[in-house]
Amino acid sequence: MDSIIALAFTAFIAENIILSQFLGICPFLGVSTKRSNALGMGFAVLFVMLISSMVTYALYTYVLEALDIVYMRTIVFIIVIASLVQMVETFIKKVSPALYKALGIYLPLITTNCAVLGVAILNITKEHSFGETVVYTTFIGLGFIFVMYIFSMIRERIDKAPVPKAFQGIPIALIVASILAIIFARFGGIV
Amino acid sequence: MNSGLKSGLVLLVLGIICGTLLAVVNSLTAETIANNELIEKNAVLEEFYNLNNYDLEEKTFESDEVSTIYVLKEKGTDNINAIIYQVAATGYNGPITMLIAVNSDYSIEGYTVLTHSEDPGFGADIVEKDFLIESVTDLDPFDSVAGVTYTSNGILGCFEIVAARAGQDFGGGLDD
Amino acid sequence: MTNRENLFKGFVKENPLFVSVLGMCPSLAVSTSLENGLGMGLGVFFVLTLSNLIISLIMSNEKLAALVKPVRIPVYIVVIATLVTIVEMLMHAFIPDLYKSLGVFIPLIVVNCIILGRAEAFASSNTPKDAALDGMGMALGFTGAIAIIAIFREFLGAGTITVWGNLVINLTGLFDFIGITPIGIFVQPAGAFLSFGLILGTITAIGNKNAAKKLAKEALANG
Repeated sequence: MDSIIALAFTAFIAENIILSQFLGICPFLGVSTKRSNALGMGFAVLFVMLISSMVTYALYTYVLEALDIVYMRTIVFIIVIASLVQMVETFIKKVSPALYKALGIYLPLITTNCAVLGVAILNITKEHSFGETVVYTTFIGLGFIFVMYIFSMIRERIDKAPVPKAFQGIPIALIVASILAIIFARFGGIV
Repeated sequence: MNSGLKSGLVLLVLGIICGTLLAVVNSLTAETIANNELIEKNAVLEEFYNLNNYDLEEKTFESDEVSTIYVLKEKGTDNINAIIYQVAATGYNGPITMLIAVNSDYSIEGYTVLTHSEDPGFGADIVEKDFLIESVTDLDPFDSVAGVTYTSNGILGCFEIVAARAGQDFGGGLDD
Repeated sequence: MTNRENLFKGFVKENPLFVSVLGMCPSLAVSTSLENGLGMGLGVFFVLTLSNLIISLIMSNEKLAALVKPVRIPVYIVVIATLVTIVEMLMHAFIPDLYKSLGVFIPLIVVNCIILGRAEAFASSNTPKDAALDGMGMALGFTGAIAIIAIFREFLGAGTITVWGNLVINLTGLFDFIGITPIGIFVQPAGAFLSFGLILGTITAIGNKNAAKKLAKEALANG
């Protein structure tokens, strides 16, 4: 039990996917200008990440390893993610038009979001069991949402601040992200 | 032919071409990769002992703490001359993996940090350090470093794991 | 466009990292040392040049293009993923140290937006030669940009510049001379964001200044 809590905490804060592993930087900078967008993107990523991690875990363990063709990993994973994103999009559109309205525009962007493929591969290289995969992925996703949300609140205020012209937009966002990263890195010792 | 089927066929053909290509490259590189890994592993072990003088027996465990032990036996006999432990304990940012080589009189022949994710400039520096420990029966001289307590504790943790099981192993235990 | 323009536009004018701000994840992650940055650049060079070439070859053949068109994005992704896996295996076999330090970021070249972006925006509608030149130029521009960030970070954070393997330029003497130690934060994750932000802002400032100069000159010329 202890190790599961430690794993969850590590995934959420200490190994935060954005601030310490540098995955999903594009949505982090691109979609974090407003709080509602940040949350929408965050939940869309968590959703796709969780399903794709479970599917890729099963495929890797029961197909690729069994057939001894682990070198097909990257191809298989990216195809799984791309088709999952498609399926999720169609599914949500049919079942819940309201949810589709909220998440829809973010879904196509997720295929090339390196956080999703990154977590699928990390679960394999870290040799997680199925349970650990689920916990790790969930908390990585929650960590993504958490940082996106905090960051979007900060950016809403930066927009009103007198930033030097050359540093407006992405440069100042990166500098603020570095301060967040310092704070998050200091939580590493708690686990 | 309907367009969906056609598209599917295109992807299938492409998949087969790519898969074959990868299988070829894999068969060309697999041996080199395996060789590299073996050479690398033995090079680390040879830092402590000349492997030609012993019979090497390797045991792997499912445990998080002790993943592998390398038992060095006197040639042709069952006498254990030394054991090299591959152990892991938690540092500041995650597990620190160490190799610790112990002689049959419990003296420590040497140790080295294999992998860690400590911060460069902070914890990462001390993994190269001499911790003044000479025997697994006495960990008191352990020289912890102020300011990087978690990393120090991780390394001490590795020694403690070895200390806890060395006696049993040299007595022939060698179990998980 | 001439061959020269196709090759060189990726260096400065359309630099993928500093101008288009694509491919941020790997450049933040592997710029801890110049060696890692160059290694990443090497991988991207191989994948981008060949993927541009192959995709352009497929799309410039009318019959093939008609077949591929409805499923072109999956086709691009499969081609790119194959090339990336080949790079991964070659690095694992022949440059094992680099393979270890780049880690998960080698397979992640697949989702590097620069590569899919060039396939869709350039390779699919240009001749194979132009596409290959474009790929090389973009990859070199990307490598150059990572190298700048890496040198900045490694010098300030560790006082060294690791060019390749044992070829390390040690500049810690400079820090001793001033009487300070290297600033460790720069080689940590936080330092990646900080360095990139500072460099990007500085480049924008220089760009703005040049643009202003140009405007002033034109205004002067027009009286």
